[in-house]
Amino acid sequence: MQLKLSLIACLLVISVGHAQEDLLSGFDSVPTNTFKSAAFKGLKIVNFESTKMVSKGELYFVVSHRFGSVKTGIEDFFGLDQAVTRLNFLYAISDGINIGLSRSSFQKIYESSLKVRLVREKANGFPFTIVSSNNILLNTALDDDVLPGLSFENRLGYTVQLLISKRFNKNFSLQLMPTFFHDNLVSVAEQENSQYVLGFGGRHKLTKRFSINFDYGLHMNRASSSPFKNPLSVGIDIETGGHVFQLHFTNAQPMNTNGFLGQGTGDWGSGDFFFGFNLSRVFN
Amino acid sequence: MKNMKTVQLVAILFMTGVFATHLYGQNNYVDKAGYLKFEASEKLFEPVEAVNKSVTAVLNTDTGEFASLALVVGFRFENSLMEEHFNENYIESETYPKAIFRGMLIDFDLSNLSDEPVEIAVDGKLALHGKEKEVKTMVSLQKLNGAVVMKGGFTVTPSDFAIEIPSIVKNKIAREVLVSLNFNLKP
Repeated sequence: MQLKLSLIACLLVISVGHAQEDLLSGFDSVPTNTFKSAAFKGLKIVNFESTKMVSKGELYFVVSHRFGSVKTGIEDFFGLDQAVTRLNFLYAISDGINIGLSRSSFQKIYESSLKVRLVREKANGFPFTIVSSNNILLNTALDDDVLPGLSFENRLGYTVQLLISKRFNKNFSLQLMPTFFHDNLVSVAEQENSQYVLGFGGRHKLTKRFSINFDYGLHMNRASSSPFKNPLSVGIDIETGGHVFQLHFTNAQPMNTNGFLGQGTGDWGSGDFFFGFNLSRVFN
Repeated sequence: MKNMKTVQLVAILFMTGVFATHLYGQNNYVDKAGYLKFEASEKLFEPVEAVNKSVTAVLNTDTGEFASLALVVGFRFENSLMEEHFNENYIESETYPKAIFRGMLIDFDLSNLSDEPVEIAVDGKLALHGKEKEVKTMVSLQKLNGAVVMKGGFTVTPSDFAIEIPSIVKNKIAREVLVSLNFNLKP
């Protein structure tokens, strides 16, 4: 009897003591149905746009370089004597709507861009992030003297692209990029103006600060006489607090989507590829 | 012998009663939208600071016991990529989602509080990133419109919590992180 009572008392004391101990009970649940962290940290994987968006109110200034072919060797210091430069300003009207304006030294192309996030991947919800990426390009290098009868329309090009990404775990993400692009003027006569590409890319984090990235564009209707090659690129992201530096090798020197998909000249097989980087600066 | 048992029984009942009153008479003042800010900025470099406006804080006004919980994903940075890097590479919020402080307000007495702020010592432990660290600081307390308003701050270092700062940004992140808090605890 005595033992029993003591036991009951002990239990009571323990349970009461326990209830008293945790002031936070009832407040400490972690929400599980949350948006996943971005699959990619850079706005580009390497050449292709990623599903990463600029956040509302932020202005990004992105400087990208693709040097000359490394094939030239020491004479051109592995291409560093020549470079194609693209300067790109991006602004976020909202977290889901980004607009941009860029100038590339490749064919003196001006490009305006609109990137819209349609759906965002959730931890216990929709499994993908889907972004629509659209560009209008203006080639200002075309010369009336060389191409008589050239009209303004001939300078224009368009890109319509879906970016579908999935973050498989905290280190590994993949992306699929079905792409349609149209150049009003193409340099190869047999090439259709409207072109289709299936792009895919990925990112794998090796350490907290480094990831290895790749992307590839499979052209579906390239003319058989075309000298241009499908772009394959590999690179690394160096991440610090709030910044990403991207260094890479690619066989396409142009940086606009129509350019690297339609007019990449390099060839990995013959050692003809380019070194490049993407740098960005954020203004809040 | 029978007397003895009765005495024991009464004593036990009495003790149970005391604890029960403690439980049911417990006066918890709560803030579910508490404010926490940390700053680790270095002069001349991009500001490294973030604010969490959905911190939970609970004060037992009978005992002075105090606890607070912040979900680390709730910290907002000005640079959103910095916020992502903070969560993924520094604080690792997927693995360690919570920052929890548990402690005591020393010599706390609710009836001594007025609208004049008074300084009171806090002694407790802060747990985050899988590590725990003792924190001692002073906070100011005042009673405003029936609520207990707590303001204050303390300093911690990333190494206290095994948060690794890579050499590439070592000069841009302060060695000491200043945490400030503002809670409006309501009955």
